[in-house]
Amino acid sequence: MKRKISAGLFVTALSVIADILGFIYYLKNCSTDSFSYLGVHPVIAGGIVAAIVFQVVLIVVGMKGQPIWADLLPVATSVSLILATVNFISTRVNSFAAIITFEYSAKTMADLGSAITGIEICLIAILISIAASFFDITKEA
Amino acid sequence: MNATKNYRSSMRRWRGVTTFSASVLAFAVAAGPIINSFRTDIDKFAGTSSTKLVHDDGGDLSGAYTYASDYSSTTELLNAIEDLGERMNEEGSVLLKNNGALPLSKEETQKVSLLGFSSYYPVMGGEMSSDLSENVGTDADTVDFVQALSAKGFKINEGLQDLYRTLEPQYTTEIDNRGMKSLYKRNTPPAIDGTYSSKEPSRQEMDDADAEWTDYLKESNVILVTLARGAGENRSYLPGTDGVDASQDLNQTDPLGLSDDERSLIAAATESKKANGGKVIVLLNSANAMEIDELKNNDDIDAILQIGLPGGYGFYGVADILSGATNPSGHLADTYAVANANAPSAQNYGNYPYTNNNANLVYYVNGTLVEAENIYIGYKYYETRYMDCVLGQGNASAAAGSTGGAAWNYDNEVSYPFGYGLSYTTFEQTLDSLDVDPGNKTVTAQVTVTNTGDIAGKDVVQLYVSTPYTAYDREHGVEKAGVQLLDYAKTGTLEAGASETVTIKADMQYMTSWDSSSDNAAGTKGCYILDAGTYYFSLGNGAHEAANNVLAAQGKGIADGMTEAGDAALTAAWSLESLDAASFALTKNGTPVENQLEDLDLNYWMPGTVTYMSRSDWAGTFPKTYENLAATEEMLACLDNDTYEISADNGDPSGVVFGADNGLTLADMKGVDDIGNPDYDKLIDQITLEECMIRTGFGGTSTKPIDSIRSPEAVQNDGLNGIYSYPLGQYANTDASTGDPCAIDPNDPNLKYTAGVMSNATVVGQTFNKELSKEFGEVMGNYSLWSNLTIWWGCGTNLHRSQYNARNHDYYSEDPVLTAYQGANLVRGGLAYGCLIAPKHFAFNDTEINRRGISVFMTEQQARENELRGTQAAVEDAGALALMSSFNRVGVRNDNSHTGLLSNILRGEWGFEGLLSEDYIMSPSYTSLKEAVMNGVTMSANTGDNTMKAVSEKYPYWTVKNVSRDAALLAALKQAMKYQAFALANSNAMDGYTPATHVISVRTSYDNFILGLRIVFGLLVFLGAAMYLRSDRKRRRQTDVCREDS
Repeated sequence: MKRKISAGLFVTALSVIADILGFIYYLKNCSTDSFSYLGVHPVIAGGIVAAIVFQVVLIVVGMKGQPIWADLLPVATSVSLILATVNFISTRVNSFAAIITFEYSAKTMADLGSAITGIEICLIAILISIAASFFDITKEA
Repeated sequence: MNATKNYRSSMRRWRGVTTFSASVLAFAVAAGPIINSFRTDIDKFAGTSSTKLVHDDGGDLSGAYTYASDYSSTTELLNAIEDLGERMNEEGSVLLKNNGALPLSKEETQKVSLLGFSSYYPVMGGEMSSDLSENVGTDADTVDFVQALSAKGFKINEGLQDLYRTLEPQYTTEIDNRGMKSLYKRNTPPAIDGTYSSKEPSRQEMDDADAEWTDYLKESNVILVTLARGAGENRSYLPGTDGVDASQDLNQTDPLGLSDDERSLIAAATESKKANGGKVIVLLNSANAMEIDELKNNDDIDAILQIGLPGGYGFYGVADILSGATNPSGHLADTYAVANANAPSAQNYGNYPYTNNNANLVYYVNGTLVEAENIYIGYKYYETRYMDCVLGQGNASAAAGSTGGAAWNYDNEVSYPFGYGLSYTTFEQTLDSLDVDPGNKTVTAQVTVTNTGDIAGKDVVQLYVSTPYTAYDREHGVEKAGVQLLDYAKTGTLEAGASETVTIKADMQYMTSWDSSSDNAAGTKGCYILDAGTYYFSLGNGAHEAANNVLAAQGKGIADGMTEAGDAALTAAWSLESLDAASFALTKNGTPVENQLEDLDLNYWMPGTVTYMSRSDWAGTFPKTYENLAATEEMLACLDNDTYEISADNGDPSGVVFGADNGLTLADMKGVDDIGNPDYDKLIDQITLEECMIRTGFGGTSTKPIDSIRSPEAVQNDGLNGIYSYPLGQYANTDASTGDPCAIDPNDPNLKYTAGVMSNATVVGQTFNKELSKEFGEVMGNYSLWSNLTIWWGCGTNLHRSQYNARNHDYYSEDPVLTAYQGANLVRGGLAYGCLIAPKHFAFNDTEINRRGISVFMTEQQARENELRGTQAAVEDAGALALMSSFNRVGVRNDNSHTGLLSNILRGEWGFEGLLSEDYIMSPSYTSLKEAVMNGVTMSANTGDNTMKAVSEKYPYWTVKNVSRDAALLAALKQAMKYQAFALANSNAMDGYTPATHVISVRTSYDNFILGLRIVFGLLVFLGAAMYLRSDRKRRRQTDVCREDS
């Protein structure tokens, strides 16, 4: 049976891009002066990487027709991203408070800015991944 | 085929619903532990409570409330705060200059013009710390200058008010924090590494806004010009032109000096006065000593009044001073130098990074501060060098450090000396007697103060001591201030012609000097000494007058270079035949003293690097700037914060008891004020190791309940201008049936009141009134009872080492004795009501630049005689039960890890027995938890879930398995909990508790919300999955049907 590309491919690809951007920003934030002490958190890094893997697998598999087990991947993707993002935020709340109050400076605000950007991208990735779950990668022609 | 597609479409929809629901469910599940970590903060913002008291005996609360308030309602309480705020600025504003223009007549109060935008938007508190709590709609609403003047019956020029309204864009600063825009109309201090920008509208801008504005001054010709400098935590000025926004080109040579826009404002006022008559009065709205020599010398300026940061009610007091309703009695808590940048301390005030810090960001290795000025900060420098100029010793008259580069001359250096202040009346002081009693270690002075003018007023008796600077001192590197404040007292209100005899019993230990080379009772080195020689005690309206009196007693006069003649009759001499290194070899609790801070001296790590200033050679030792320092390997070994190794070699852990069943609760210890009582040990034996580890690791925001000993939650509060972290009603008891005498009606109009309203600490210092500081402690103690807020980080005992520290507003003075006694009385006042008022930041938090991690270096003599002395009385005399350590390093060692400072001086020499919290350190490395616990720190400022898993995640070495190997650490953990329990047992945190009381957790609205999310979205996940599978089954069937059909 012939298949043609569906909107799901583009939305999922967009989500992968957001995941990757979020991951890059997360790693970048981990190397800032204000947040380097936190190190790379396995749940955050693992969650984002897992989401990327799930979505790549979904795209590859979906191009050939989506088997039923592959329908678990959007759920797993969003849950992974949620867990990563919640931890991204929670591990930084105290430092946010410290920067906004006790350590306010252009440098620390830049560090804070990178964290917030990373979190914002992760939140966008979550929304896109949820949206993507309503679409298939391909559909029957 | 279409049916199959429809089923697939349905599957997509249900897959989407399942994904969305699972996402929300995952969020709700993940949020649980996070909520537990930040529960106290969430409760703060949500106005909820997560705990509840349960009384096992059915609620017999007789005797459950130990402390009683002086007030019967929140209205009375707030009125008392308001009244004290007004009196604080009445007594804490300093009249620096007055040619008779003040006080104003009744008629003059009806024609007042306010110049300067700070008249309309004054600095009333600091940024962040001591930020003003603006209260509206309460029984004690806060007021600014205009409101206070209006309330006191002044009539203010409305044309100028309109002008400044028009000019608002000129002095409005917009700060954009990622879209969160804040508008500041007040004068603000620079951010770290930033420069000061003047916001004062220029003459041109004023003319452009209203060409006729100067005409407004014709009728309203009593002109008040307000000049301000902001203050703030995590803010800093920088010395000289480096600290000024050069792009403004306002001929401003220092951020604390005047700009041309400010000068033009003054000129407009004085020109108007020449043309129209009237008066020009300058108000200094600043906690930092501004450079105002040009104002002092400007004869067209009639008066200068220093008002500090008046808080929410202080402007009432300022208005009363202006109108003469009250007589000013404040005295400067700092030296007002002509050029602050020429102070020795200013030579090392700035951002000085280590040159090899790049690999150590995690450890907060960020910079250095070498306090090479030695003991000579503030007046101890200016007055000592002046005296040496007169005495012709130590190359004092050399040009080094002089303003203008010529020979150093006092008149060119100081505008107004420490301790100086004028009154509307005149006083005469006579030193009736002075008795030095080495046996009791006291100096008792009797001073008669007579009001020789015609207006009632208060006066301050300042007792200074001049200790001999001997050949021994020169040989052993002991420095001596020419004069130093020994003690002080304020009279009551003296009517014209009336007298009062004031008795001051001063503590002799504050006239000793630290000699690091001296033998001591411990058999080591380092001791407080009294040199052989003549000691002069002197009275004076400020340190300079006292210095002149001492010089007069030594036979010196104007011919010798004195600025004015002294009065030898106001001095007394006492001689010591031989050096005394024995009388103060033991502290008040009998602990032998010895060198504890040798590693605070950079020369300990890098020999020969620093030349500390010495009065033996002012010119040769005037500080140079120490920058671009590279930490040695030995220093880096401490700078990584890992200085204690958990080891099984530290004794037998099996001997340390945890979890015993001794049947005690903390309520059994209520009011037991002897920490040596064996029941405290029995109580702490009940505690579990896990509880100790969690509570020390996660001690931020509040001390959480400890089940094993039924220790309650005690909420911590910040704000040195009053308890301002939580509104009055946040934790207040609204259940009158509990028998709580401070229960509040749920509809009380003052529930939202917050108490960060007091005049700033410098004003409190300037009152020179111990009783007033004690009253502040008492009224906050009462507030603590009504609000159920027990712990208050509210006593700033760091010194004004440099006037460029924008945090100076949180500290009293450049002088340790004034700091010590104002602080001690604040603490004492609070303790009477069970409020734990904590001195902070212990110690050497002398700059906000790189404050988290900065390596501070100085001599042990400077540390002990200046900064430490500022905190000592709060512990030794007032019995402080709470204290906060500091962000900075002591030398290269994290403050919280410094055994000499915390274990040996604070706990040992001074006998501190209370709870000791870290400052707001979030980095697990810099928290140095194991090192801190070993040194008597009872809690970090971190928060987290009440589990070992959470605390071990934060500090990987902090596991039961690891810690339980180390007997010394186990003992230290129990000791930390004992200190905390002792403090709480003697606080109002135990009010409402009996031995039958315990705390239970209750579900809050947000707990229920999260639970609701879990249930609803759990069901939706289930439903979505089921519907998905149903659609899939139908799709398969349809596919099969299609196949069969085909």
